[in-house]
Amino acid sequence: MRIPTIFTPALQKRYHTVGRVLALAGGLLFAASAYLPWAYSGDALDDMSYLGGPSTLQFLGMFLGLILAFCAAMGWIEPWADARKLFPPLLRISKRAGWTRGAKATGIGVLVYIGIVLIAITLELGGLVTVEWGGWVALVAALAGFVGSRLLTAGRQPSLERARTAPWVDIVAIALVLLAGLMLAAYALNQVDGGTFVVILAFAGVLTAFLLRSGIGGWLSAVSRRHRTVLVFSAFAVAFLFPFTQNGSDANMSIATQVLIFAATAVGLNIVVGLAGLLDLGYIAFLGAGAFTAATMSQSAFATIGWKPPFIVVMLIAGLVSATLGLIIGSPTLRVSGDYLAIVTLAFGEIFRITMSNLDGSDGPDLVHGSSGIPAIPNLNLFGFDFGAVHVVAGIPLGRFSNYFFLMLLIMAVIVLVFTRLNHSRIGRGWVAIREDEKAAEAMGVNVFGLKLLAFAGGAFLAGLAGAVKAHVDQSVTPDQYIFLESAFLLAAVVLGGMGTVMGVVLGAALLKLVPEKLRFVNEYRMLLFGLLMVIMMRVRPEGMIPNQRRVLEFHADDEDLVDEIEEDLPYEFAEEGS
Amino acid sequence: MSIDDVLLTGDLPGHQVGKQEMLSARNVTMRFGGLVAVDDVDLTVHSGEIVGLIGPNGAGKTTFFNCLTGLYKPTSGEVRFAGEVLPPKPRKVVMAGMARTFQNIRLFPNMTALENVMVGRYCRTSAMAVTSIVRGPKFRREEAETRERAIELLAYVGMKGQGGHLARNLPYGDQRRLEIARALATDPKLLLLDEPTAGMNPQETRQAEELIFKIRDSGLAIVVIEHDMRFIFNLCDRVLCLVRGKTLVEGTAAQVQSDPRVIEAYIGSPETQDGADNA
Amino acid sequence: MTFFLDQLLNGLSLGALYALIAVGYTVVYGIIQLINFAHGEIFMIGAFGALSTWIVLSWVTGGSTAWWNLPLMLVGGMLVAVLTAVVMERFAYRPLRNAPRLAPLITAIGISIFLQEFVRLFYGRIPGFPDAKSAIPFPQIEFFTGDAVNVGGLLIHRGNFFVVGALGVCWAFLWWFVNKTGTGRAMQAVSQDPDTSRLMGIDVDRIIVIAFAVGAALAAVAGLASGLRYGNIDFKMGFLAGLKAFTAAVLGGIGNINGAVVGGLTLGVVEAMATSFIPGQFGGPAWKDVWAFVLLILILVFRPQGLVGAKVVDRA
Repeated sequence: MRIPTIFTPALQKRYHTVGRVLALAGGLLFAASAYLPWAYSGDALDDMSYLGGPSTLQFLGMFLGLILAFCAAMGWIEPWADARKLFPPLLRISKRAGWTRGAKATGIGVLVYIGIVLIAITLELGGLVTVEWGGWVALVAALAGFVGSRLLTAGRQPSLERARTAPWVDIVAIALVLLAGLMLAAYALNQVDGGTFVVILAFAGVLTAFLLRSGIGGWLSAVSRRHRTVLVFSAFAVAFLFPFTQNGSDANMSIATQVLIFAATAVGLNIVVGLAGLLDLGYIAFLGAGAFTAATMSQSAFATIGWKPPFIVVMLIAGLVSATLGLIIGSPTLRVSGDYLAIVTLAFGEIFRITMSNLDGSDGPDLVHGSSGIPAIPNLNLFGFDFGAVHVVAGIPLGRFSNYFFLMLLIMAVIVLVFTRLNHSRIGRGWVAIREDEKAAEAMGVNVFGLKLLAFAGGAFLAGLAGAVKAHVDQSVTPDQYIFLESAFLLAAVVLGGMGTVMGVVLGAALLKLVPEKLRFVNEYRMLLFGLLMVIMMRVRPEGMIPNQRRVLEFHADDEDLVDEIEEDLPYEFAEEGS
Repeated sequence: MSIDDVLLTGDLPGHQVGKQEMLSARNVTMRFGGLVAVDDVDLTVHSGEIVGLIGPNGAGKTTFFNCLTGLYKPTSGEVRFAGEVLPPKPRKVVMAGMARTFQNIRLFPNMTALENVMVGRYCRTSAMAVTSIVRGPKFRREEAETRERAIELLAYVGMKGQGGHLARNLPYGDQRRLEIARALATDPKLLLLDEPTAGMNPQETRQAEELIFKIRDSGLAIVVIEHDMRFIFNLCDRVLCLVRGKTLVEGTAAQVQSDPRVIEAYIGSPETQDGADNA
Repeated sequence: MTFFLDQLLNGLSLGALYALIAVGYTVVYGIIQLINFAHGEIFMIGAFGALSTWIVLSWVTGGSTAWWNLPLMLVGGMLVAVLTAVVMERFAYRPLRNAPRLAPLITAIGISIFLQEFVRLFYGRIPGFPDAKSAIPFPQIEFFTGDAVNVGGLLIHRGNFFVVGALGVCWAFLWWFVNKTGTGRAMQAVSQDPDTSRLMGIDVDRIIVIAFAVGAALAAVAGLASGLRYGNIDFKMGFLAGLKAFTAAVLGGIGNINGAVVGGLTLGVVEAMATSFIPGQFGGPAWKDVWAFVLLILILVFRPQGLVGAKVVDRA
């Protein structure tokens, strides 16, 4: 996205100082306006009607204003401190950051933020008159900040990612980012008001833009590469803590558990699509196969298989059933060509759905009661731990969905482990080679067919595991839960989030599940928007939000500068020096 | 040079420079419909020997090459490698010890040079899914060995320190060398090079020549397809000249070089040129 | 015996429908090796275009169902379908022509979902148009619908005349177009080697657009035929029909126009026969789609180049 060049370099050169003053003043005024009433009544968003008592959203706005002011001020602080030789280590780091770029990003950001807030107030209370004077002050401040930041001359390219920081700083940074993420997610989930949710999303977006443009994002991603294990463990720790922030409310945990099931399945799909490069359009059927297997072997009165092994065994059987189906579908099609796999998996999804609907006793054996499915699946009971009951831990009650959340977290951990370890191994290398040049890989002795089948059937196995749990979480399994649109939805999470990365897909999955959940009006247009989103993503950013470097290279084969840039940043494991 | 020494004194397999018979093709004929692309061709290659395959365009060199590497199953006749008939599966052929390079370079462009070579190790390593996920000591050892061997091989072909570059960003000559390193990573007994100097300048060609000699001296058998006559006659112990799918001449470089029929096949009288354009 | 012939005819007319759609897959694949997943939706759009034309006409004619409505509906359907296909090619596929194969495939899925949802959500919002969230009854055009015709003891559904006839006409037209016109020959050239064709002065982009347009026009014919045959249309109709037509294209050998026709007819007959003659619980209409897809998988195992297949499937 390019802002039209009203602010030409010549103009910027002339009014540079004016711009800095404006940006600084705009940022500060915007921050201060948080103490003014923005809305006429307390019913809009999270009550912005008080003088002197900012609401949470206003606090978030204030934070953005301060960032803008700080970035603008750094243009003066830096030379000043430089002249006096103050804090040399801090200064060294500061000189690697792109403060001006950060200011420009935040300049647009505050404008977008206040714009969304004012629109939300107008819509929720009815009419522009409901915007209180403080809101207009904030708008003027944001405009000043925006214009000011645009007037700044182009800033330096940040190189923070090359800053070598002490390990403890790195780890503290990881912890802080994750905690902030947890708090923001918990806060966003607790909002019933759609407008508030959108504003929080906008805040997160602006903050991300600032981090990326100023180079802090680059530093963070370098940090996370340096401390991958720490990051993964703390991410799981944070996710583990999440249920404790909910004060025993199961409503959000239900959503969170669904998100987690969805994300785990999407990460499984990402092994197939992102790593092995196979387009699997029937992935939901493997989830379904797992769910139906678990349902028919559950304690439900409607279950049709008399054998009731312990759940661990059921889960393994569910995985194996899915994997076997994967082998049956994959072995003929993987031999021919990638395009066929896509269609055949699509067809397989249909076969699965139709077959399940037909196994109702009249068109086929009565295995799953046809389209009515298997209802009343009881809660799990693992090693005496009743998943249906409320358990109190450290004074905080954890309900049914929290229990399943923990279980899914465990499964997620397994899937992530499989994903990352396979990615960084002989097998992962083989997959990349196949994606790059299948014929050459074959001629170099790579077992192309075997590796594809492994990805395909392995992905199916993981989906089967997740499906077994899903059957118990949902308490009923019907064929119409496992239709093609769900497969497409999973694919959208992978495409949006990032092919070949775990973080990206988790983020993509969370967004795709949460946004329709929190925004009723989006729900109706959900599939329409996601269809469009897939088309647009493939055009503008086919590698997804948080991409795998190699995927970026593959999708941008013509962009020489980008290629060189990535080559410089390649993690050590791809180069010789590592050993 | 220390790494070279290590390799020359026995790290590459099949090091015994005895005249072992590596590859023998007997009466190989390949038909596509009515077209006979390769007609009753014999070829024997011994370890420690470089055999050149020449012929005008469309003489059936590449088809013959593909019969040797198992991409095609000959219509009649047989190809034996180390005494065995190999199944027509590229992977099995590599496992048996035959590796190739491509006429139009086919590296994995978005992998680093080092990774490219590591992919070549694929068929000599065995860690499968569960091993890779559990990461026991065996996996780590194997992974470390793969990496070490790849670094050695990069140095062997003269690309020490280049391992971190993406294959697509390497200069042309290095890409050719990297392809050879990748092929060597499969521990071949026989190396098939398809026009290894195509598009190279004289200096790069000379380097390639040295590299191929070095590989030969470590005991491998080598088959080269080439158009550059000077290169072929410098390099090869024996040369096989194909014309219209048939063996025209087979003999030492000197014999073939002085054979008037070879010159005619290349420079040609009008009749021979007409039919030469079939495969 | 009569029952068998009935089913054969039924299968042939169903197959003709598949064949008309399959041509669109095959023409595009033959030229740019792209499986245009969204082609099924073009078929659906064609049906809705035809319906819309009739609705607009009915404001003037007061709902006449005379035979002359049919050509107008056909033209209307084709216009909408071709327009959609051309816009789709221009804005979604063309920018991805050199992208990795995954990109256009995913784009196609996106378009497919988008078009379905677009029709579902917005068709009914046009004043005077019915809500498309559930099936919409298709106008019963005189002569082409109504009581079955008795031909020598065989009862032939009237809609079948249209679809079989349309296939015949379209096939003949395609043969003429591909073999006898300059554009058709240019198409053949592009499918052999796009780069050389470009050097020879062929406007490859134009040829690709024409391929999309021809496919879309035929899909619109199929859309109209489907409306007449089943008596109603809905926004989901393209998904399954597209999948079946793709199966037909693979059955005949993808990239081969005659193959698509043969494949379509074969698939239709197989489906009709499987519905009527597989005994026991696994026969009957409930399983016919399953058998069609099983056929697809079997073909891929045993004859990936298809029944007629001249084109090599596996691209290096």
